[in-house]
Amino acid sequence: MSLTLIVLGATVALLLVLLVWTLSDTRQQQGSHAISALKEGGRAHVKFLPQMRRALEIGDGEFLARTRVRGLRERVGRERRRVALSYLSGLRQDFEELIHISRAIAALSPEIGAAQEIDRLRLKVIFLCRYRIIWISLRAGLAPLPQISDLSNLLSGFSVRLEEAMKELGERAAMVAEMASSSDRRRIHHA
Amino acid sequence: MDALAKYVQWVWGLSIAVQVVVCGVLFFRGNFRRLPLFTIYVLSNVCQAVALYLIYNQFGFRSRAAVLIAWSSQCVPQLLRVLAISEILRLILKPYHGIWGLAWRVLAVAFGVVFSFALIDSGRDLSWAIALADRGFHLAFGVALVACLLLVHYYSILIHPVYKALLGGFCFYSCTVVMANTIGRTLSLHGNGDFRTGWQLLTMGTFVAVLAVWAVALRTRLPEPAHEEVAPLGAERIYWEMSPRINERLRALNEQLDHFWKPEATQP
Repeated sequence: MSLTLIVLGATVALLLVLLVWTLSDTRQQQGSHAISALKEGGRAHVKFLPQMRRALEIGDGEFLARTRVRGLRERVGRERRRVALSYLSGLRQDFEELIHISRAIAALSPEIGAAQEIDRLRLKVIFLCRYRIIWISLRAGLAPLPQISDLSNLLSGFSVRLEEAMKELGERAAMVAEMASSSDRRRIHHA
Repeated sequence: MDALAKYVQWVWGLSIAVQVVVCGVLFFRGNFRRLPLFTIYVLSNVCQAVALYLIYNQFGFRSRAAVLIAWSSQCVPQLLRVLAISEILRLILKPYHGIWGLAWRVLAVAFGVVFSFALIDSGRDLSWAIALADRGFHLAFGVALVACLLLVHYYSILIHPVYKALLGGFCFYSCTVVMANTIGRTLSLHGNGDFRTGWQLLTMGTFVAVLAVWAVALRTRLPEPAHEEVAPLGAERIYWEMSPRINERLRALNEQLDHFWKPEATQP
C-alpha cells in the first residue's frame, strides 16, 4: 500500500468522524442563550476558598499526628483528598463557565479577533490536559494539596470585573431584544 | 459511447433523474429563494451531465478531446459548489457577524493552504495534473468545510437539519472523490488494471445517494432567514476589553497548573 493512500485514507477517515461529530451534536443554540448566560452570571466555586484553605492546613496534619489515634491521620488525609478533588472539579466548572461566557460575548460582538479566539482555544486545550494530569495525580496521592488555593485566587480576582461586564452587556442585550420584539408586535398589528 | 460500461450509463441516467428531482423539490417548495446559489449549482450539474453525455456520444469516452472538455467543464460546478457552501454557511451564521467574519477567513485559508499542498508534484503530465487538481480540490473543500463546522460547533450554534444534510452531503461526496482518485492512481501506478469504470461507479453512485438525501431533506420548507441581530450597544467594546483579560487569566491559570507540584508555587 502506498504512503499517499494511507495518509489520505487516514485524513478522510478523520474528516468523516469530525463531520459526524459536529453534525450530530444536539446542544442548544449559543446565540439565543447568550443573553440568558450573561444574565445568569457565574456560579463561582472560588467562594469556598476560605473553607478549602482551612481544610488543607498543614498544621492540622501535624496536630493529628500528635494525637496518636491509629489511622486517623490517613483517614483525614483521604477525606481531604476527596474534598480537594471535588474542589478541583469545581474550579474546572468555573473555568468552563468563563469560556462559555467568553463565547457568548464573542457571539454578540459584531467583530471578533481571530488571534484572541485561537489563543483562547489553545489555552483551553492546555488547561484541560494539565487539569487531567493533576486530577490523576491527586487520585494517586502524588500532588501536594495546599497549592490548590493558588488557583482559586486567579479566578476570584477576575470574576468581579467579568460580572460587571456581563451585567452591562446583559442589560443592553435585553434592551435590544425588547426593542426587536416590540417592533415585531407592531408589524403584526399593522398586518 | 462504446467504451462507457452499460451500468455506468444507467447510473449516469439515474443521477440526472435525481438531480432533476432535487431541482423540482427546490422550486416546488420555494427553497430556491433561500438557496439561489445552491439551486444554480444543481442546475449546472444537470446541464454538465447532459452536455457530457452528448460529447461522449460524439467523440467517445476515452478520446483526448472528450477528456479535455469534460475536465475543463468541471471548473464551473466546482466554483458553484464553493459558492453554494459559502451561501449555506452565511445563512447559518447570519445573526453572528463576528463569527461569520472569522468563519469565511477559516474557509479561505484552509482551502488555499490544503489546495496548494495538494498541487505539489502535479506538473508531470496533463492527466496527472488534472487528477491531482481534482483530488486536491475535494480534499481542500472537505478540510475547509469541516474546519468551519468545528468553528460553528465551538460556538454552539444551531444548524437547521436541512443545512446539516446539505453540508454533510457535500463533505461526504468530496471524501469519496478523494479516496476514489487515490485508489485509482495507486492501482494504475502498480499496473493493477483500469479503475475508470470503478471510479465512475463509486463517485456517481455516491453522488446519487447524496442527491437522494438532499431531495428528502429539501422537502422541508426552509425557515425564514434569521434576522441580522442588532448587536447590543458597546458589545464590540466589551469584547475587545474582556477578551484579552479572559485570555490573560486563562494563561495565568495554566501557569499555576504548571507549578502545581512545585513547592515554591507563586501567588498570583
